[in-house]
Amino acid sequence: MDALATSILNRIIRRIPNKNIESLLKKWNCLSADQLRALDYTRPKWMIVEHIVSFCEENRLNLKHITTLEMIYHIENPNQGTWHACQLAEAQDDAVCVELTQFKEQFKAHLHGVIRHISIKMKKHEDEAIWIRIAWGDNFSKPNHLKPTYVVHHLHTSYVFISNLMVKHKIFLCQALVIATKHGYIKDGHLSTRSLTAMRDLLLRHYQQVFPNEHSRIPQERNTLSSHPCIGKEHGDHEEMRHQMSCEAFGHSPSPKLETAVYRLETRYRGNGNNTLSDREEFFRGVVRFSSSSLLDSLRHCVASGMAEGPVTPLLSAIIQRGRNYFVITDKSPGVSSQASAQRA
Amino acid sequence: MEARGSAVNTPASRPVTRRSKSYGRSCVEAPSYFWQTPGHLTVLKIPTSRGAAKSQLITDKVDPEHIALLVKNEWKLSYVTPLHHFRHTQLKSYSRHLAAFIAAEKQQGVAVEVGLEAGFKVTFTAVLGLAETDEDAETVFIQIQSKPAFAAAADAPKVVWRGWLTCVNGDPEYLRSLPPDFVSLPLFCTSGAESLTTLVKTWFERAFDCNFGSLALNSTTLNWLAALWTGCHPTCNIRHLKLAWSLPTQPPMDVSYTVNPQDAWELWNSIHPEESTDDKIDIKEVQSFISGLETHFFRHFKIYLSAGTLVKVSTALGSAHLDGKIKIGNSDYITTLLTLLTESALLKMPT
Repeated sequence: MDALATSILNRIIRRIPNKNIESLLKKWNCLSADQLRALDYTRPKWMIVEHIVSFCEENRLNLKHITTLEMIYHIENPNQGTWHACQLAEAQDDAVCVELTQFKEQFKAHLHGVIRHISIKMKKHEDEAIWIRIAWGDNFSKPNHLKPTYVVHHLHTSYVFISNLMVKHKIFLCQALVIATKHGYIKDGHLSTRSLTAMRDLLLRHYQQVFPNEHSRIPQERNTLSSHPCIGKEHGDHEEMRHQMSCEAFGHSPSPKLETAVYRLETRYRGNGNNTLSDREEFFRGVVRFSSSSLLDSLRHCVASGMAEGPVTPLLSAIIQRGRNYFVITDKSPGVSSQASAQRA
Repeated sequence: MEARGSAVNTPASRPVTRRSKSYGRSCVEAPSYFWQTPGHLTVLKIPTSRGAAKSQLITDKVDPEHIALLVKNEWKLSYVTPLHHFRHTQLKSYSRHLAAFIAAEKQQGVAVEVGLEAGFKVTFTAVLGLAETDEDAETVFIQIQSKPAFAAAADAPKVVWRGWLTCVNGDPEYLRSLPPDFVSLPLFCTSGAESLTTLVKTWFERAFDCNFGSLALNSTTLNWLAALWTGCHPTCNIRHLKLAWSLPTQPPMDVSYTVNPQDAWELWNSIHPEESTDDKIDIKEVQSFISGLETHFFRHFKIYLSAGTLVKVSTALGSAHLDGKIKIGNSDYITTLLTLLTESALLKMPT
């Protein structure tokens, strides 16, 4: 156990509540049952760490074992750090036949081929997800185990989830992924969130979707001036319609717990009619950011309660439909200021 | 609260008998009873127009060191009713009294923090030059330093609390109507432990027969700041105009809209042309500016921002939050901000 291994261990233990330490160590399976029993989890963390370190030395464990522990910790606690989604495209004919061993070999071979010092660890999780931990180095420096990149991929899907990746390493990782999964190229998914679970649920469609049906068609014309007995009924109808509309756009509750959505607006000014700014050619630039503990639930409630006017704008429904939460909005063509579109993939 | 103008009683529950324990020589004079404070007979109105924010080299007027103290922190706002028998010439003795008071209260075990602070050093400083009119009283800055009980002798005492009382462009009619014994410094800004804020307030309340209350801003004030700050863009880069709303959805949703500074200014300029001869900005122009931004937002997202509340406005010149927290980003525009906040504080005082 060198200083590096100890400091990684320290960082893991510091982040988890005392009561969860035991189950993590059990899953790690590197300490004996007696050793696990000997640990007192009510002690301060630094004492627990000291104790574990002494056991590790007893068992002749090294950095490799500690990084395994770190991986287990991350797999158990996936919702931390910021995750970015990438999308694989142009699948080759044999992409569906890629197996884990083959993926593993190709991926590692490629990265070892281009970077001299690199440490790659792969682990298949119960839910079929492949977890990859990469500690990057270069020709002159050893792999940096304190800032590893984590990659999660479900074989035969077109999404890859990445956290803590430096820009300079991006190209290497993308190449390795494209080769190992037998795809043509990989592109930014414009989706980032702290919750890997939410990201996965959204992109792999693990949520209750609502589809428009005959009865729920939104009437094109709304009769707002109707007077009497049916007012109550009409209000009810409106409410129901708003509810249906909101569910179509944002799915049923509970939805994936997305926290933010960002829109970069590069559109012509569309304010009050009598404003001179409406005529100008330049864009009215700004950034709009929506945030909530559960954004899709908030937006659904926003539409259902009438805080938003229906029908739901494609800008907002695109979050679910296109699985993105970062958009650049531009006007389609100069002179046409009526339609905004979510462009630029 | 459009206007107010009723005679008012000071709270009947005012502590008449002082507590028997001593905390140094008392500077409280014999209790005085102002059952009616004539100052309140004046009518305070919310102005519907005001001058554009003008840059001034504040460091020409005020000691740059003093200004530096005001600029770096986030301040929590309160209002204070006029101070009875407050003298700017007595600041040194106030420093001693407040220090003794804090030490006594801490030893009594009223505060929760135990044993950490052994000695407190309090410094009252007059920040000369911030006042704009003859009626404005000069700003008073208070700093509390503490030396932990077990600190090494060489350790410099740490600043644990800062606060200041100010009045900038206070309503002259109101200020003139105050009896001569009173000094009005209606805006109280604090930064530091809440327990110390409470102690300082208690000391002021006992020493100067005044009352504190928390000063939440309202959306009109935030709208004014958004427009006034945006108007400064040609002379001083505001970097961005950021507005934040909170919408009462379930769960609550925050919407922030960061507008390009140049574009925000052009929108403002189309509503209130720079070259207009009339220097005054009307509240209608301010409202039209904000609604212009809201409309542009609505045309994209179909969400009514008016269903929620505007909670924060920020630019490089400063930021202000609805719950009464501010930051001063650029001292050259400090007068505009403090004028607005002084006005809010005066309006917020109980009637």
